[in-house]
Amino acid sequence: MGKMSRRTAALVAVAGFASGARAARKPRIAVLMYGNKAEFVQLMQRYGKQHPAVTGGLAEITFYDGRYDAAVQNDQAQLAINSKADAIVVNPMDFEANIEVVKKAKAAHIPVIVTNARLNTQEMTAEVASDDVLGGYLEAKNVLQKFGCKGNVVIIEGPKGGSGEIQRGQGNMRAIGECPAGAVKILERKTANWSRAEAMDLMQNWLSRHRGAIQGVIAQNDEMALGAIEAIKSAGLKMSGFAIAGIDGVTDALVSVKRGEMASILQDARAQMQASIDVALRAVLGPGYKPLSPIWKQYAGSLEWNDGQSKRYAIPWTVVTPANADSLLQGRK
Amino acid sequence: MTRTSEFARRYGIVLIFVALCLGIGAVCQYKVISGQWPENSFTTADNFLLILYQVSVNGILAIGMTLVILSGGIDLSVGSVLAFAGMFAASFATGSEEATRWSGGYPAAVPVVAALVAGAACGALNGWVVARFRIQPFIATLGMLLAARGFTMALTGGNPISNLSPGLRWFGAGRALGIPIPVVLLAVVFAVSWVVLRKTVFGRRIYAVGGNEASARASGIKTARVKIMVYAISGFLAGLEGIVLTAKTGSAQTNAGSSYELDAIAAAVIGGSSMSGGVGGVSGTLFGALIMGVINNGLDILGVESYYQLIVKGALIVGAVALDVSRRRAEN
Repeated sequence: MGKMSRRTAALVAVAGFASGARAARKPRIAVLMYGNKAEFVQLMQRYGKQHPAVTGGLAEITFYDGRYDAAVQNDQAQLAINSKADAIVVNPMDFEANIEVVKKAKAAHIPVIVTNARLNTQEMTAEVASDDVLGGYLEAKNVLQKFGCKGNVVIIEGPKGGSGEIQRGQGNMRAIGECPAGAVKILERKTANWSRAEAMDLMQNWLSRHRGAIQGVIAQNDEMALGAIEAIKSAGLKMSGFAIAGIDGVTDALVSVKRGEMASILQDARAQMQASIDVALRAVLGPGYKPLSPIWKQYAGSLEWNDGQSKRYAIPWTVVTPANADSLLQGRK
Repeated sequence: MTRTSEFARRYGIVLIFVALCLGIGAVCQYKVISGQWPENSFTTADNFLLILYQVSVNGILAIGMTLVILSGGIDLSVGSVLAFAGMFAASFATGSEEATRWSGGYPAAVPVVAALVAGAACGALNGWVVARFRIQPFIATLGMLLAARGFTMALTGGNPISNLSPGLRWFGAGRALGIPIPVVLLAVVFAVSWVVLRKTVFGRRIYAVGGNEASARASGIKTARVKIMVYAISGFLAGLEGIVLTAKTGSAQTNAGSSYELDAIAAAVIGGSSMSGGVGGVSGTLFGALIMGVINNGLDILGVESYYQLIVKGALIVGAVALDVSRRRAEN
């Protein structure tokens, strides 16, 4: 019964969209975010609300705050299904534990798109994410190039066992592996749990231990790279003695890149979220739907729409340089 | 009670601290002698100053926590209040994004006062709810833990505030006579709270309320007033650390101070304050915080994985409470 009425509603929605005249119920998209306390998630939410289908009144979008708890997210999937969402977009907390979200959506016959992070299943309608292994590779490459693949680095890792830490770590190691054997020494590697304050303490302790020996800092996100920068400054050392890189492209990092203190690999929150919404709308509304987000034009050539039918959309990374930092900062306003 | 156990009770925490430093120092020295390390980077004056710098936030929160615990309560909200006060302060201390150097806006006193007032107000509200409605402190401050975090996010819609004025940054990055400001603040807060607890009527009343509330009230102490005061002080100190943490990291963030309340409670408990109130003091707490700081710093320097840091801290907390319980059993 529930399934029937939802399917009917979706059909009505298609008809309404196709004719563009009849007052049909707008497709509702439930977006399950793993949390809402970090700048990156905030950005994703903001860009979701700015999707042309949402601002143009063609679709409704509801955000759920998963409170950094995979179990909460699984419950919220059920809540979204019960409140007759037509599609679910999930930014999962956990690689394994949130497979449940996909299972529930499948059982309710609604499309489910996994965004930003990965889930260890192939059952979803589509995945929209940036390749973390590539991101880790790009940032490490950037650090290593600064001192010609010869020197000592430290790696500040994400939360142990998370897909971000594992995959970005693989990318870090691949880049280091491309240097001549033994040329790059990893002095330390430890987690600072994506936190600037924790990374600052950790880096201070490492500077104490390896005085004058650290040339490169590979931080698996920007916040931790910024923490390392604060540590170096508070120790009274010169920033020019260090090559530092992070991932994500948060605003402070863009400012820091502009100052020449670090490199950042931008993860495009707008493209991830808006592509996810387009793919979800295509799945709900059928073949008549043309993607509305400007990101498809922006990434023409490196990201194919493929009528919303691809299993996996890999959102390209952007290496932030002092040259493009300004225009990226403008886009944040 | 025998003299040795009296000695262990008074100075046990100091002995543990010294033993920990000597132990880590010895391992480092061994690495130098065996040629693995060029120098012993643990036992240097710079490194001990660094440890003080790193424990300053937890140390000050833990001193506030100790006052609350001594009065028979607990304050779970300090981490969230820290974040709220820090965000509130930063909102008065940020420049335009293009400006490389902060210009215009408010003088540093405005954000500082704003944070202290916001923190003290949150704390006073905690105390009022506890005293007026007789709600268990655990529940009342749990409510504040959630609400203050919510207010923090509401202030900026969840976004961080950066590009802070040099005046505010001074509280994290500045120095006075070569001593980092956060360390100076820790010393001042410790000294004042020690004097208050030991030498003032208000200090004695805190112990009295925590030791036996009914008899404290019978002897004419306005227990509600004492409670509101201790929670307000705890909130005030959380506000102060909101400034310091924001200034240290150069950014007020909505997730700042998450679960700091647990570290503050741990420092107080390791330092010998009894969770049932009336027993303990801020000297123990200071060493409790130092022990946690030495573990973090020492194990980072030794390159020990962070899992083991958690295990060592966990064992210390439970051990400290076990000691406290057996001691009181011996006294009764």
